[in-house]
Amino acid sequence: MKKVSVSFTLNGDPVTADVPVTWTLLKTLREYFELTGAKEGCGVGECGACTVLVDGKAVNSCLYPIPEVEGRSVTTIEGIAEKDGTLHPIQKAFLENNGVQCGFCTSGMIMSAKALLDQNPDPSEEDIRKSIAGNFCRCTGYVQIVESIQMAAKLKE
Amino acid sequence: MIDYDYKRPDSLEEVFRLLQEYGPRAGLIAGGTDVMVKIRNTKKAPEVLISLRGLTDLAYIRKNGHYHIGGLTTHRMLEQSELLQNELPALYEGASRIGSVQVRNVATLAGNICNAAPSADTAGPLLALDARVTLQGPDGERRVPITEFFTGAYRTVRKQTEVLTEINIPAHMEQFGSAYWKQSRRKAMNLPIVGIAVSLRLDNDTISDSRIALTVAAPTPIRAYKAEEFLAGKPMEDAVLAEAGRIAASPECCTLRDSLRGEAWYRARIIEVYVPRMARLAAERIKKTH
Amino acid sequence: MPDYLFVGKSIPRTIEADKVTGKAVYINDLRRPGMLYGKILYSTHAHARIKRIDASKARRLQGVRAVLTGRDIPDVRVGFLKDQTVLKKDVVRQFRDEVAAVAAITPEIAEEALSLIEVEYEPLPAVFDPIEAMKEGAPLVHETDARGRPVKSNILPLPWKFSVGDMEQARKEAAFVTKDHVSTTWVNQCCMGTSGCVAEFDQSNNLTLYSPTNVIFGHIGRISEYFSRIGLAGKKIRVVNPVVGGSFGTKLDTDIYEFIAIQLALNTRKPVKILFDREEEFRALPPRQPAVFTIEQGCDREGRLVFRHCEAVLDNGAYTSWGATTPSVMIMPMSSLYRVPNVYFKATCVYTNNIYAQAMRGYGNPQATFAVETSMDSLAEAAGIDPAEFRLINRNQPGDETPMNLKITSCGLEECIRAVKERLQWDEKKKARQKTRGLGMASLIHVAGGARVTKSDGHGIMVKLDEFGHVDVIESGTDQGQGSPTVISQIVAEALGVRPEDVFITFGDTALALWDAGTHASRHTFMAGNAALIACAKAKRQILDMAVDIIPKIVKLNFKRMKRKDPGFAEPDLDYGLIADPEDLDIRDRMIFPKKEPDHPYFRVPISDILRNGLHVGIGESRVVAAEAFYDPPTEMLNREMKGNLSMTYAFGTTGVEVEVDEETGDVRILNLVAAHDVGKAMNPTLLLGQIYGAGYTGVGYGLTEEIKVRNGRVMNPSFRDYQMLTAMDVVPIEPVIVEPDDKDGPYGAKGVGEPGLVPTAPAIANAVYDAIGVRIRDLPITPEKILTALKQKKGGMNV
Ligand SMILES: Cc1cc2nc3c(=O)[nH]c(=O)nc-3n(C[C@H](O)[C@H](O)[C@H](O)COP(=O)(O)OP(=O)(O)OC[C@H]3O[C@@H](n4cnc5c(N)ncnc54)[C@H](O)[C@@H]3O)c2cc1C
Ligand code: FES
Ligand code: FES
Repeated sequence: MKKVSVSFTLNGDPVTADVPVTWTLLKTLREYFELTGAKEGCGVGECGACTVLVDGKAVNSCLYPIPEVEGRSVTTIEGIAEKDGTLHPIQKAFLENNGVQCGFCTSGMIMSAKALLDQNPDPSEEDIRKSIAGNFCRCTGYVQIVESIQMAAKLKE
Repeated sequence: MIDYDYKRPDSLEEVFRLLQEYGPRAGLIAGGTDVMVKIRNTKKAPEVLISLRGLTDLAYIRKNGHYHIGGLTTHRMLEQSELLQNELPALYEGASRIGSVQVRNVATLAGNICNAAPSADTAGPLLALDARVTLQGPDGERRVPITEFFTGAYRTVRKQTEVLTEINIPAHMEQFGSAYWKQSRRKAMNLPIVGIAVSLRLDNDTISDSRIALTVAAPTPIRAYKAEEFLAGKPMEDAVLAEAGRIAASPECCTLRDSLRGEAWYRARIIEVYVPRMARLAAERIKKTH
Repeated sequence: MPDYLFVGKSIPRTIEADKVTGKAVYINDLRRPGMLYGKILYSTHAHARIKRIDASKARRLQGVRAVLTGRDIPDVRVGFLKDQTVLKKDVVRQFRDEVAAVAAITPEIAEEALSLIEVEYEPLPAVFDPIEAMKEGAPLVHETDARGRPVKSNILPLPWKFSVGDMEQARKEAAFVTKDHVSTTWVNQCCMGTSGCVAEFDQSNNLTLYSPTNVIFGHIGRISEYFSRIGLAGKKIRVVNPVVGGSFGTKLDTDIYEFIAIQLALNTRKPVKILFDREEEFRALPPRQPAVFTIEQGCDREGRLVFRHCEAVLDNGAYTSWGATTPSVMIMPMSSLYRVPNVYFKATCVYTNNIYAQAMRGYGNPQATFAVETSMDSLAEAAGIDPAEFRLINRNQPGDETPMNLKITSCGLEECIRAVKERLQWDEKKKARQKTRGLGMASLIHVAGGARVTKSDGHGIMVKLDEFGHVDVIESGTDQGQGSPTVISQIVAEALGVRPEDVFITFGDTALALWDAGTHASRHTFMAGNAALIACAKAKRQILDMAVDIIPKIVKLNFKRMKRKDPGFAEPDLDYGLIADPEDLDIRDRMIFPKKEPDHPYFRVPISDILRNGLHVGIGESRVVAAEAFYDPPTEMLNREMKGNLSMTYAFGTTGVEVEVDEETGDVRILNLVAAHDVGKAMNPTLLLGQIYGAGYTGVGYGLTEEIKVRNGRVMNPSFRDYQMLTAMDVVPIEPVIVEPDDKDGPYGAKGVGEPGLVPTAPAIANAVYDAIGVRIRDLPITPEKILTALKQKKGGMNV
């Protein structure tokens, strides 16, 4: 099996991964870096549980070929709280407002929300719903997730 | 077990060189949202994937006379383009309803039409907007009208060594209003059960020119020429539009089939209903922009 | 209202912070040293004889550690009716039948090995329609029963029959009668976390199974039965829950893949993980039980129900899991939703070569309520009574005992119906009708105080405090995301007098926890809450006993210290009688104090002081605080006549919807959805809303979009792309209304709320669609195609 060596920035740190060239970013995060926050809910771009940020944009890491990560910057759910453990406002808001139930969709949901709020600090409900349309959740009916993101926007101000 | 090599050339020349070197053993990958899914589902891959993501200067949307959209432009760029939203709303709507933000952030317009799924969401709008695509190969480039691009389900005129470098929409489309409807059971993360794109130009209240394009209505995305012909020179009236819808939905224009996502009669019904609705919307949009 | 510090407050889910930081370990994330990966080869036929299996190539593949077929493992029957084996040896009866399994060092190698296994089938005639399957001469799905005796028919030996009153007489008395055919289909639970487990044996063949099951002790029962047949009788089995990525019924039964993981682990002497991918989740996990109903109801001139008669046929699929027992729950709405004196209900479960079914949120209730509530609507119309009024006339009331002997204690149904009417502006809108808009409602009854489906409906809990005032709660239930860690921490904090952040909860480990009947049937808050109250009362008493001894000592020690510092210090004259009896003390917000003088300057001490001083006393005197409770409520199991008060209390609710239907396209838009629920007491309003929103949304999917398309036994849409679960863009404006009649048996008055929100949603939508456009769709889901077809029939041949 052919391997590649890919250097990139992961949650702020420079890293290099030596993995099979066929691996996706998701598999590399989970198996090489043991960052299991991003989940595989489908493996084919249809659920959003694997959402991470690449150069600030939300992507399905399950479809992202690892060689494409070379030189880029990747942010995962493990990298958004402060170094001292203080939660990111979106994380806080999800706990505060019951935006999380079983939690399986949560990492991806929060990363989608982060991509949105980084670009648009004052989104409408429609903006929020559009930004998480690719993140399925079976537990919440999305209502309190939308509210959590609205709350996070306020917290960030 | 799946194994492939992955090349990331940063110039077109390098892409052509690799394409020639590997021949049919190579496959192009852009956003990878079709390619990666197919590899996972079929457990088969080409020997070499040649990535186009290094061709960053092919990611653009420009207007100078014609509209020019680069071969590496993502749906997200189209969705965030005010130019497109104002002047080519059908394409804006097609692109912005593809998958999710995550998909649109990487998936490209070129990938959508090169993959040539009968359901491709941008195919209808491009047909309704008289698009032409530029294919470049080691032996030069050629321009193909989108109406001649699709040759079958998942098949196009593109040669194995060619890269789609630009999509071009002629300047006269500025005078058209356009609209795209994607019929689906839920509002996101869906392929269309059927797609309807309409563009038209009015002369007072008379339809002077129109395009009606349909997806999932035949093995390839198609134009409903008979319906367009019927509309030519007719007034913008309910009865006229309804008849155009009926013609568009009939075997004169499409070959509808029953599939898991929808039955033929239902697709016909949606075409019948939405050709008029999109025509109205397209007409409104002309008035707004001009 | 008692003045609670934590109960009834929207305490945030801080206790689950690991879920927002990516730290929570789901089965998907769990890895054990030396772990192998198991994969399953499924049948490619709906019904076929296995002529030959050749696994030799797979066995030779590098990295493969075991390949098992039906011939390699003991031929032991498992399942609710013992109608299948773990790996199928001779005959496959459905597409998902497990014919071989592989364990390898990577999932990719295991997958590759599967593709090297050659199986030759000889197709057999198959039957896919339950009605056809009931007919004489239909192909038999099973030739013999569990004991090897030949069978003559595909009908299961599970005669669900309930009959009360005099049907013949009732029919005569009824002034209005309607009869409807209703059907519901397969829907997938769609847990976002896919299913999986890790099986691991120790050197002496004791098993630890990491499994997201929500019935950890039920698992042990079933696995130990299996063990007794494969020569492992008496071995210890421990079931441990990882963090659970959704459950919704999928984790009720011990699934075949779990037995396979166990067999692979046994064979390889290594931990083995089996993890489903999404396609397997759709193809190989038993979904909600589909059912068809013929329902007839009658009422008198005043609109009072006089009878309800219903026959149901359930497509059991090829094997039997909990799906076949859903009629036991269907009997509840059939007999007890609204007052109805004469009831007949019969359900027949039939084997077919389709996929088999199991539980999903609400069990059989959503199916049966869809039948009852759409029929209620037709009957109201026949009787010329407004559907809301009709439901009010027949509403259940506190103190009722229903035909199946359910004893209704608290009941907020009337408030729920009225709230829905008010919020939807029912009367006003019914008068000023807008074309293509319509209103509909439906109600529900559900168990909300446990459900005695096994002989014990008990729930065990243990509480211990350490010297710092931290409380460890060892909970025998499963946290599947419902919010129990927060709610239980609120209850424990309130009952013990600590704060929720002092409470730490361990869920789902059979080695630590006492017994529990399972986190199902909306029972967890009710059962665990009541158990916690008992355990906390015991622990509190232990603390107060200590306090009586220790507070005076602390006070005196303090005085001594003060005197040392300040020789002039005069010891105040204190009334030690205030703290002489534990009964006179209380604990609140981490402080112990005399009830008579809560702010006493000397006798008010932190709970941790008492705990620490109680432990570090000296030889023979040290004390720790620990208490357990096992709460098993005085409820009844269903008797032979299917009667019995199986829950301590019942939940009621009403959902009302306003829809707009596009008559040209058949598209339905929900303009407003009011979900009014009798919850007893809202323990944590924010978390409660989460249950109502989530269940309501799933209910909308059940009503309008979701459907596993099964054609000739094969699942045709095994992906999120084609299975139409709703996205965030499919906005459903849900307006919850909380009705709190305060239940005398619930912990702090609470009832179960996990499932109810889903139950009445689909029929409410169906009724609203009828109100809007005059066609009744009685076949779920209510698709645009069905609406257009019905409209065409109604109008007599529009060109569709
Ligand atoms: C979850 C999900 C949802 C989706 N939803 C939709 C939807 O709603 N509507 C819809 O239409 N599609 C949808 N798609 C399909 C897909 O996203 C689109 O077709 C997308 O536009 C493909 O672009 P890409 O850049 O990812 O293509 P790739 O996967 O990289 O390539 C697709 C094909 O085009 C070829 N190709 C790509 N670029 C070029 C080029 N410049 N020149 C020549 N050949 C090229 C590749 O060789 C390949 O054969 C969805 C996909 C996913 C995973
Ligand atoms: S796992 Fe990537 S989208 Fe589902
Ligand atoms: S919280 Fe369970 S899937 Fe979203």
